[in-house]
Amino acid sequence: MRRTRILAGLAALLAVTAACTPAPEPKPIATPGVEPSGEIELWHFFTDREAKAIDGIIADFQAKYPKVKVTVKGGQDDSKVVQAIGAGTGPDVAISYSTDIVGKFCATGGWVDLTPYVQRDGVDLKVMPEVVRSYTEFRGKRCAMPFLADAYGFYFNKKMLADAGIANPPKTLDELTEAAKKLTVRKPDGTIERAGFLPLFGFYENSPSHLGPMVGAQWLKPDGTSAIGGDPQWQALLKWQKDLVDWYGYDKLEKFRASLGDEWSADNAFQKGQIAMAVDGEWRLAFLKDQAPNVEYGVSPLPTADASRYGSGYISGNVIGVSRTAKNPEAAWALVKYLTLDQGAQVKLSNGIRNVPTLTSALTAPDLQVDDNFKVFLSIFAHAQSGTTPPSAVGPAYQETFGTFVDAWQSGQKKDLPAGLSEVDKQINDVIKLAG
Amino acid sequence: MATVTLTEGRKTSALRRGARGSRRPRLVVLTFIGPALLGLIVFLGYPLVAAVYFSFTRFTLINPPEWVGLANWRYLFQDPLVGIAARNTLWLTAAMVPARIVGALLTAMLLNAMKRSRSAYRTLFYLPALAPPVTATIAFVLLLKPQTGPLDTMLRWLGIDGPRWFNDPAWAKPALVLLSLWAVGDLMIIFVAALLDVPVDLYEAASLDGANAWQKFRYVTLPTIRPVLVFATITGIIGCAQYFTQAAVAASVASNQVTGGGGVSGTFGYPQNSMLTYPMWLYTEGFRYNLFGYANVLALLLFAVSMSITVILIRRFKAFTRGES
Amino acid sequence: MNRALIFVAKHSIALALSAMFLAPVLFLALTSLMTSNQTFTSDLWPHSWHPENYAEVFSKTPLLKYLGNTAMYAGLATGAMLLSSVPAAYALAKLRWRGRNLMMTLIICMMMLPPQVTTVPVYMLWANGHLTGTLWPLILPMLLGDAFSIFLLRQFLVTIPDEYLDAARIDGCGEWRTLLKVVLPMARPGIAAAAMFQFFYAWNDYYGPLLYTNENADNWTISLALASFRTLHHVEWHLVSAATLITMVPVIVLFFFAQKAFVQGVTLTGVKG
Repeated sequence: MRRTRILAGLAALLAVTAACTPAPEPKPIATPGVEPSGEIELWHFFTDREAKAIDGIIADFQAKYPKVKVTVKGGQDDSKVVQAIGAGTGPDVAISYSTDIVGKFCATGGWVDLTPYVQRDGVDLKVMPEVVRSYTEFRGKRCAMPFLADAYGFYFNKKMLADAGIANPPKTLDELTEAAKKLTVRKPDGTIERAGFLPLFGFYENSPSHLGPMVGAQWLKPDGTSAIGGDPQWQALLKWQKDLVDWYGYDKLEKFRASLGDEWSADNAFQKGQIAMAVDGEWRLAFLKDQAPNVEYGVSPLPTADASRYGSGYISGNVIGVSRTAKNPEAAWALVKYLTLDQGAQVKLSNGIRNVPTLTSALTAPDLQVDDNFKVFLSIFAHAQSGTTPPSAVGPAYQETFGTFVDAWQSGQKKDLPAGLSEVDKQINDVIKLAG
Repeated sequence: MATVTLTEGRKTSALRRGARGSRRPRLVVLTFIGPALLGLIVFLGYPLVAAVYFSFTRFTLINPPEWVGLANWRYLFQDPLVGIAARNTLWLTAAMVPARIVGALLTAMLLNAMKRSRSAYRTLFYLPALAPPVTATIAFVLLLKPQTGPLDTMLRWLGIDGPRWFNDPAWAKPALVLLSLWAVGDLMIIFVAALLDVPVDLYEAASLDGANAWQKFRYVTLPTIRPVLVFATITGIIGCAQYFTQAAVAASVASNQVTGGGGVSGTFGYPQNSMLTYPMWLYTEGFRYNLFGYANVLALLLFAVSMSITVILIRRFKAFTRGES
Repeated sequence: MNRALIFVAKHSIALALSAMFLAPVLFLALTSLMTSNQTFTSDLWPHSWHPENYAEVFSKTPLLKYLGNTAMYAGLATGAMLLSSVPAAYALAKLRWRGRNLMMTLIICMMMLPPQVTTVPVYMLWANGHLTGTLWPLILPMLLGDAFSIFLLRQFLVTIPDEYLDAARIDGCGEWRTLLKVVLPMARPGIAAAAMFQFFYAWNDYYGPLLYTNENADNWTISLALASFRTLHHVEWHLVSAATLITMVPVIVLFFFAQKAFVQGVTLTGVKG
C-alpha cells in the first residue's frame, strides 16, 4: 500500500516536470520597420583571442542598434545549449561549432524557423553559395544561418615534389596515387619512413566526409534516407583508397601512423615532413606559419576522379540560430542578420577568426585580408561542385555508421564492398527511422 | 584480547538483538536514515521512473517526450554496435576489477611494511589517482606511444619491438587495464586503512600455531578485511560498468587528435571500436544522435545487468550479513 | 643480514613504483614549462624553460576566484555529505530494523544508474527550481546522503565490535549519543577516508559544474577554467598543465597531512590492539 503511494507521488512529480518543459509556441513577428530593442543573450563556444573578436563585432552591433543590449557568454558547448533550451533556460542566440546539430534544432524547433523574418525583411539568401544554404536548413525549415565557414583543400610539400620531379600537384586520383608512390621513402627493413600520402581513413582529416567531394559522392537522398550504397562514387573512392593502402601494406601504415605526432601539435606529420601531401582545412595555414615557418608548401583544390570536378573541396562551418526560448526574438534576429548578412561584419569576423566568410560578395571584398594560399580556399569555397555533409535528425550518425564500415574495409576485415554498403544503408535507415 | 572479545562479542550481541530491536525502533531509525531515504526517492526513484518512461518515447531533450511504444526496445536488435560495446565493457570489468584489487592490496601491504618513509611513499603512489583523469590518461598514452614514447624506447634498448598498445585493437583493452592499475591509489588507500584494522594479536596467535605467511594472510588478513573487499568488488563493478572518460581520452590521444579544440567524442572507439565501452555508446546514441529514448533503453539494460551481477555476488557471499556485524 | 636484504628489496620495489607513479606529475610539470609549440611533441624535455607560463595562467583567468568557488563547493559538499551519510551508515551497520538489507541494496542501485541518464531528469528538476547557474544543485543533494559514501562508511562501521556500543547503551546513552560519543571517535579512519574522497571528487569534478554553472562565469570552478585555454582548433597545453598543477597542489598537501588521520586512527585509539 505504502509502495503504491510512493509510485503515485513519483508519477506526479514526473508529470509536473514534463509539463514544465516549455512546448513550442509560435511568437507573432513584428511588422516591417520596427526598431529592435531590449536585452538579449548570446552564447558561443569561442574563448580567448577568438572570443575577443566576437566582443569587437558585438560592440559594432550595439553602436548600430543602441536600443539592444547584448550579453555575451563564451565557452558554451553544444550539449549545454541543448539542455538549457530543453529546460527553458536557453539563450536568445547561440552559435554552434558543428552543422551536425542543425538537423536536431530544425526538426525539434529548438531553433525557430527564420523564414518569416527572411521574407518580411526581403532577404535574398542567394547572396550565399548554395552549399552553405544547404547545410543550414533542414526539411524546408531555415532554422540556422552560417557563421563563417571552413574549406578543405590539398596541401603539398613543394620541395619534396620538386625533388621527385613532380612539377604540379596531382589533379586526379590516378595522379595522386602515382605521386604518393614516388614520394614514399621506405627504410631498409620495408617500414615506412615517409609516406607520399597517408590514405588511412581516420588519420587526421582523412574522413569520408572530407574526401567524398573528390568523387562527388552523395550521403543522403532527398527523402532523407541513405544514398551511400546506391552511389557508385563511394565504391570508386573506397576501391581507389584500398588499392593505395594495400600498396603500402595495412599493417605498415598503421605502425607508421601510430608513431606520428598529434594533428594539432607542432609534431603534425605534414609539418615535420613525414608525409608529403595531405587533405586539411584552411586553418592549417596559420599553424604552418606559427609552428613550421620553414616548410615550403603549396595548396590546391582536392584531386578528383574526373577533371570536371577539379577546383572543388569540402565545406562546413559554424552555425547560428535563434532559440525557441528567446525572450526577445526580434532583437535576436537583428543580431543574427547583422552577423551573417552584413558584409562589413563578415569581413571583420573573418579577419579576426581566420575562417572563410559566407557571403559571396565578402569573398572579394577589398578589406578582406588574403594571401595567395588563402585565396585557394576562397575559390574552393565558391566552387559550384564543392560538397558538404547534409543535416540529419540523427546528427553525425550516418557518417559514423559509414566510418565503422570503412575501418573494417581498409583493414581487410570486410571484402565485399556492395554487400557491406547496402548493410550500411540499412543501418542508417533504421536509425533515421527511429528518430522519426 | 581482541580474539577473545571478537568471538565472545558476536555471541552476546546476537542474544541482545531482540531486546534492542523493540526500543522505539522505527522512529529512532527514521531519524538516522530519513535524509538518505528522501535522497533515494529523489535521486534514485524519480530518475528510474523517468528512465522507464523515456524508454517508451521519442525524446530529443528539446521537446516533451512523445510516446512511441516499443520502438526503442525493438531497435536494440538492429543496433549495429551495442553488442561490441557490451562485450568490451564485460571484458574490461572481468579484467579490471580483480587486477585493481590485487594491485591495491599488494601496494597497500608493501606500504604497511614500510616504516618512516611510509607517508611519503603513500603520497607518491597516490599521485596518478589524484591527477585529473583526463590529464593522467593523456600522460599515460604518450608514455606508451609506439616509436617515440619513453617505454618503447626503453624496450628497444632491450631489443624488444614493443606492441602498438592503444593503436592496436588487440592491445588497446589490456593497455586500459594497465592504466587502471596505474591509478590504483584510491583503492590502495582504503586497503591501507583496512589492513591497519587487523588486530596484531590475531597474527601473534597464528604465529604461535605455526602458521606461515600465506596462511596468516589467508586465514587472518582476508577474513578481517572482508567488508572492504566487498566494497572494492561492488564499487569496482559499478566503476567498470560506467567506464567512459579514460577510454574516450585514450582513443583521442592514440588517434592523434587530442589537442584540437573540438572535444574527444569524434574518435570514440578507436582503434576499430576496440575501446568503445557501453556507456560511451549510450552517450553517443543519446547526446550525439539525439535518440535519448533509446539511450534510456541502453541505460536500463546496463542497470539491470550490473544489478543482477551484484545481487548474485551479495547473495553468494552473504556480503551484508554473515561475518560482518 | 636477512633483515637488511628485505629492507633493500622493499625499498627498491617502492622506489621503482614511485618512479612509475610520479610520471604523470613530472609530465605535467615539464609540459607546464614549455613553449606552446613544443607541447605534445616527442621531446618531453623542454627546449627552453618558461616559468612565466604560471604568471600567464593567473593573468588570463581569475584563477583565485575559481579556486575559492571550488573550495566552497568541495567544502560544503563534504560537510553536507557527512551530516547526512554518517547517521545513515550507522543505522545500516549497527541498528537492526526491517528493510535494512533492502535499503542497502537500493543504495547500491543508486550508484548503478548511469550518470548519462540521471543527469537529464535531475537537471530538469533544478531548472524548474531556477537554481541552474549556481553550484547549489551540486551541494544540496549531499544533504540527502551520498550513496558511495554511505556504502564506504557502512563497510568501515561494521568492523567496530558491538560490545563497545552495548557498553554505551547500558550506560544509558541513546542511539544518537552512542553515535556521537563512541562510534565517531572510533570510526575516524573511515570517516576521514569518505570525507577525503568526497572532497577530491568535488575538487576535480568537471561535468557537474559544466552542466550547472557554465552559463555563469561567476560560479566557475577551476576544472571549468581549464577549458578556457582551448580555442576553436587548438588547446594551449602548456597553460592547461600549469593550471592543473596549481589545482593539484592544495589536494596533494591536504592528502599528505590528512592521511595520518585515517590510517592511524584505529591504532591510536587502541580499540582493537
